[in-house]
Amino acid sequence: MLKRVYDIIVLFKEYVLLAVYLLISILLLAVNTTDQARVIRGHVLTAAGVVQDVFGFIPNYFALRQQNRILREQNLTLSDEVNRLREAALENIRLRRLVGLREQPAFGYVSAQVVGSQVQALRNTATINAGTEDGVLVGMPVVTDQGLAGRIVSTGSRYAIAQLLYHKDLRVSARIQRSRVNGIIRWTGGSELQFAHVPKTLDVVEGDVVITSEFSSLFPSGIRIGIVTSTRQLPGELFQAITVHPSVDFDRLEEVFVAKVVPDSSRVALERRTND
Amino acid sequence: MTRWFIIALISLAVLLLQTTLIPFVAVGTIVPDLILIWVVVLGIARGQITASTVGFVLGLGLDLLAGDDGMLGLSSLTKTVAGFMAGYTFNENKTMQNLSSAQFPLTVAVVSLVHNLLYFVIFLQGTDISWNDAVLRHGIPATAYTVLVSLIPMFIMARRNRS
Repeated sequence: MLKRVYDIIVLFKEYVLLAVYLLISILLLAVNTTDQARVIRGHVLTAAGVVQDVFGFIPNYFALRQQNRILREQNLTLSDEVNRLREAALENIRLRRLVGLREQPAFGYVSAQVVGSQVQALRNTATINAGTEDGVLVGMPVVTDQGLAGRIVSTGSRYAIAQLLYHKDLRVSARIQRSRVNGIIRWTGGSELQFAHVPKTLDVVEGDVVITSEFSSLFPSGIRIGIVTSTRQLPGELFQAITVHPSVDFDRLEEVFVAKVVPDSSRVALERRTND
Repeated sequence: MTRWFIIALISLAVLLLQTTLIPFVAVGTIVPDLILIWVVVLGIARGQITASTVGFVLGLGLDLLAGDDGMLGLSSLTKTVAGFMAGYTFNENKTMQNLSSAQFPLTVAVVSLVHNLLYFVIFLQGTDISWNDAVLRHGIPATAYTVLVSLIPMFIMARRNRS
């Protein structure tokens, strides 16, 4: 009997092997969020980060000249803006004290370089050369001088992986800076983001700046996300179709900052309890 | 034994290339799939067992490198199926001929298309992204880019074959 089974296995070894591999893959898919998988991934991530670090100079070399020009222009604009913002900040402090509003908590930043990127279908992530040793934790927002880039989803000791805005699973509570209209930023492919769940009657126009809102349990409020590029009223739909061009140039993502702020666990737990 | 060692070494190099250098040649968010090309080469040259084994291991490596963000088991599953499919074209006496002719990119095209379709069937479960949209925007362009890149090893093989 055993001999017969063995003969059958040998005869159909390709199919048996295929079945074994598929079974393992399906089992892995089923147990995706286990701690064991996280630990293995952490080790692999650190090893891969070292290799990616070696190749990290390539985009710098080619983009340096153009980057210099952009930075000089930006420097000029920002100097002017800083002066105006200083005045606004002082005024803001005075007004907040006047009405007794709580100050927004300040948080530090960890600077990091993008040493690699993963482009897989609708999942875009970047590997950065800062990890738990630098105080980077899962859930921390990743920003650049231009605005929101994403959030940390995985950490090794010296490297971390950031889920970018160009990722199908990332949703960001956002608002229009001018009219304070709230919505959800999401990405479903292409170079533009979508500002979803905005009723047709609300005031959103091209050129409006989109920022993170206080409703977000993942990101601090007020971080720039992008600019509205088009609004459309689709017949038969309750909501507007709004596209947003992200502020961050993901093709030239080199230097990022990880904001040392993690989602407020008590708030997340409370919201989850209420939703359940 | 030596042959398996060489395959393992090349496979490791391909995995490193795919995760480190290939993102630099991305057109938007579309990248060529070097691992898939290598798995098809193995399918044509060594058959289903080698191709599906290497596909499984490299797919697993790719899933692990995606960090917590990835779906562990997804690439290993799709790459295993790709290797198994490519193995159907195995013919010991015509290996070089198959690798250096138009049959090679054609096999890459068919395998890549099935691979991408299967990938999105699993990957888009529970999301509000349309499957058609994902296939049109990512699946087909990625297949085209992969086929384009597969012409390089085909021409190299054709040149070697002639000399």
